[in-house]
Amino acid sequence: MKKYWWLGLIFIGALILPLVVGKFWVHVAIEILILGLFAVSFNMIFGYMGQLSFGHAAYYGVGAYATGMLMVKASVPLPICLVASMIAAGICALIFGYFCVRLTGIYFAILTLAFGQLMYYIIFQWYSFTGGDDGLQGIIPPDLLFSANAYYYFTLCIVAAALIVMWYISRSPFGYTMRAIRGNADRTRFIGINVRKYMLINFVVAAMFAGLAGGLLGPFNRSIAPDLCNWHQSGVPVFMTVIGGPLGFFGPMIGSVIYTFLMAFVTGFTEYWPLVIGLVIIFVVLFMPGGVLGLAEERVKIFRFKHMAGRVDESIHTENP
Amino acid sequence: MNPSIRRILDMSGEAILKVVRLNKSFGGLKATNDVDYEMTTGELSAIIGPNGAGKSTFFNLLTGYHKVDSGEVYYKGKDITNWPPHKIARLGIARAFQISNIYPALTTYENIRQAILTKQNRTLNFFTPAERLAKKETLELLEITGLSHHANMIVGNLSQGDKKRLELTIALGSKPQLVFLDEPTAGMSGEETRETMELVARLNKEMGLTILFTEHDMSVVFGYARRLTVLHQGTIFAEGTPEEVRANERAQKIYLGEEA
Amino acid sequence: MDISLIFAQFLSGLSRGMMLFLIASGLSLIFGVMNILNFAHASLWLVGAYLCYTFWCLMQDYGFGMWVSIPLAALSLAAIGWVIEVVLIRRVYNRELPEQLLLTYGMILVISDLTKLIWGVEDKLITRPPLVAGPVFFFGMPFDSYFIFVILVGFAVAVGLWLFLKKTRYGHIVRAAVFSREMVSALGIPIPRIYTGVFVLGIFIAGLAGAVQAPIGSITLGMDMAVVIQAFCVVVIGGFGSLLGTFVGSIIVGEVYAFSILFWPQGALVLIFIVTAFILIVRPWGLFGTPMRA
Repeated sequence: MKKYWWLGLIFIGALILPLVVGKFWVHVAIEILILGLFAVSFNMIFGYMGQLSFGHAAYYGVGAYATGMLMVKASVPLPICLVASMIAAGICALIFGYFCVRLTGIYFAILTLAFGQLMYYIIFQWYSFTGGDDGLQGIIPPDLLFSANAYYYFTLCIVAAALIVMWYISRSPFGYTMRAIRGNADRTRFIGINVRKYMLINFVVAAMFAGLAGGLLGPFNRSIAPDLCNWHQSGVPVFMTVIGGPLGFFGPMIGSVIYTFLMAFVTGFTEYWPLVIGLVIIFVVLFMPGGVLGLAEERVKIFRFKHMAGRVDESIHTENP
Repeated sequence: MNPSIRRILDMSGEAILKVVRLNKSFGGLKATNDVDYEMTTGELSAIIGPNGAGKSTFFNLLTGYHKVDSGEVYYKGKDITNWPPHKIARLGIARAFQISNIYPALTTYENIRQAILTKQNRTLNFFTPAERLAKKETLELLEITGLSHHANMIVGNLSQGDKKRLELTIALGSKPQLVFLDEPTAGMSGEETRETMELVARLNKEMGLTILFTEHDMSVVFGYARRLTVLHQGTIFAEGTPEEVRANERAQKIYLGEEA
Repeated sequence: MDISLIFAQFLSGLSRGMMLFLIASGLSLIFGVMNILNFAHASLWLVGAYLCYTFWCLMQDYGFGMWVSIPLAALSLAAIGWVIEVVLIRRVYNRELPEQLLLTYGMILVISDLTKLIWGVEDKLITRPPLVAGPVFFFGMPFDSYFIFVILVGFAVAVGLWLFLKKTRYGHIVRAAVFSREMVSALGIPIPRIYTGVFVLGIFIAGLAGAVQAPIGSITLGMDMAVVIQAFCVVVIGGFGSLLGTFVGSIIVGEVYAFSILFWPQGALVLIFIVTAFILIVRPWGLFGTPMRA
């Protein structure tokens, strides 16, 4: 834990943020947190399990609609809605994921894309239930969280808690089993792991966190639309993760900061922001394969290799379990 | 199996593995042709044969990697034919691959720990940091197989021989009772080969592991295997103690002649 | 439910299917040979439509304007495709899947916005020459004669591609490359040049498809997004890299769409996705694809 002192700094920075910047930037910060959570949950499937899901937004959207509809149509308190969002997203992921984990590589990517679009069209077409293309308006946060600052701190707490949970998962035997599946699925079978079952579990857990992010989005935006499920939305965490760097836990978060700032900045002076984002994506893919974290890690790796190759890390040799 | 061979090798124990009329074809190629095979607990035996004889396919069929066309595989009396690999592994059968099948991005330590944690059924643990678990067992295994000094190296950087040794260690991590080793000394120097095979022999003798390995290095085969089976074009060609097989002219011609 | 209605729907589905075939055949070819899933394929298709419009505008005074614009648009798009291959696609051949997908995804954004920049946001309309402007009648039901043209073009391209793949040397090489790249390069044939050629061919067909689409209704922004997923479904159902598969897949998707309009109009795309998902689960390489590629 000592290595992550800079995290503490960032957290303190996050805590005092609303005191130093205006409402606009607080809004930006909330968006960074929500999309960052979405992207980190995506990375559970991509970075840790090694599969590219191009339909992760399905669970984001389901989470958004679960919270949105419960709040608007049934006045359910927000915390309960968020739990419901996670459960709804998890159930969808269980159903879709059951099929997706039978495939890998490009087929996995396409099937997740297809299921994402299926979800989009279901929400889009089911006018009577979801409002279809009109979307859902009037998602008002409770009085306690009505102000931007209040909602910001609320989101910060929830996202931080979620990140801590996902952090622990990534360091747990389950997390390492995911890495093992990514590294060598065959080998993992031969040591006794039912790879499909584990992939499904991971898929569902990742979807639940995406659902949580979606649930947070509704009251923030005051309205949601079926677009939250489509493949463009699914492309956002992919981009964030690639630009931030998929191999580090915080890569997608860094990507979220970059993407959100970029969007906020670019939409300010041109309507042609897709062009800019597209060019950035192309640039990053062609010239920055490891993302921002990758560049940093290269330097660290070279340093580490020079100093640790062949030498035993003392901390591992202590007898205390 | 020939009862006289049984007596010679003192294999009065239980049959731990029994293969009955195993068949497998790929397209038009018959890789495994009506193979019968048995192993008793505590054996250290080898299968040899020229390249393409079907040795790896045989292992693949036994460990659930391929589905059999016909025939049965029994482990300790239980029919495990066509079981998925992870279920077979859970029963106590482990396998080391010909081309080292390891986790390239993890360290040696992490590679081994993964197998151990799986065996300990702790892989659904979501919250305990993995580095706190299985320390003792992982270090022990590192010691036994002589990889301690490489514990923290990313395995992509290991030498070929060390990779094969890691391969073996991972297989041991699952605490198996039956181990299949596919060319365990491939790519190793003479010294490394000797060390590895001494280890294999020790595992067999002291821990009672039943071991079946394939090899091209004849000195290894004759030095360590107590029983030899010659596989050729998917069929068992000859079987017996190393001396018997060495004396078998047909086997010599087919296999040793090609080996030159 | 009388026969004329069914026949009308069948024809409608066929023409939709043929349009999808024109779009999807390039996609399938490119993926089959190069293993690159070109997300931007439909966006380029739309550019083809706009190019056709521009050429038509230039030749508005001549009656044959539309007929000439179509091949011109296809050729221009092919040229653009060549540039894209050389500058962008070539660089990701050896990269991992997510990078390839992201690249073509980024291309969608760039191409769509450039399209908006160049041609603006208003719908574009092409007046068709009298030959294909009016309806034809089958069993008393009117049917847009242009759709007959679409069906003919679709079949022509299908036959043309089939002849190319089966009868020409270049076509044989392409088929072999779908099967095994290693084999082809071991024969001393330069893979990069094949890739470029295949990509350009695929984009040419997309351009042709776009140009043929142009006189149907109007050209609007966002048409590409509406159709790209359907094109994907076609390729998945039919099988990557298989011409027959793409053809059959297009007809299946086209007809499913046409007939679901009759009894479940909102569910047309949902049905198509369900079929696609089903195929992916049961037979991921498609009806006619080869299981070689994973």
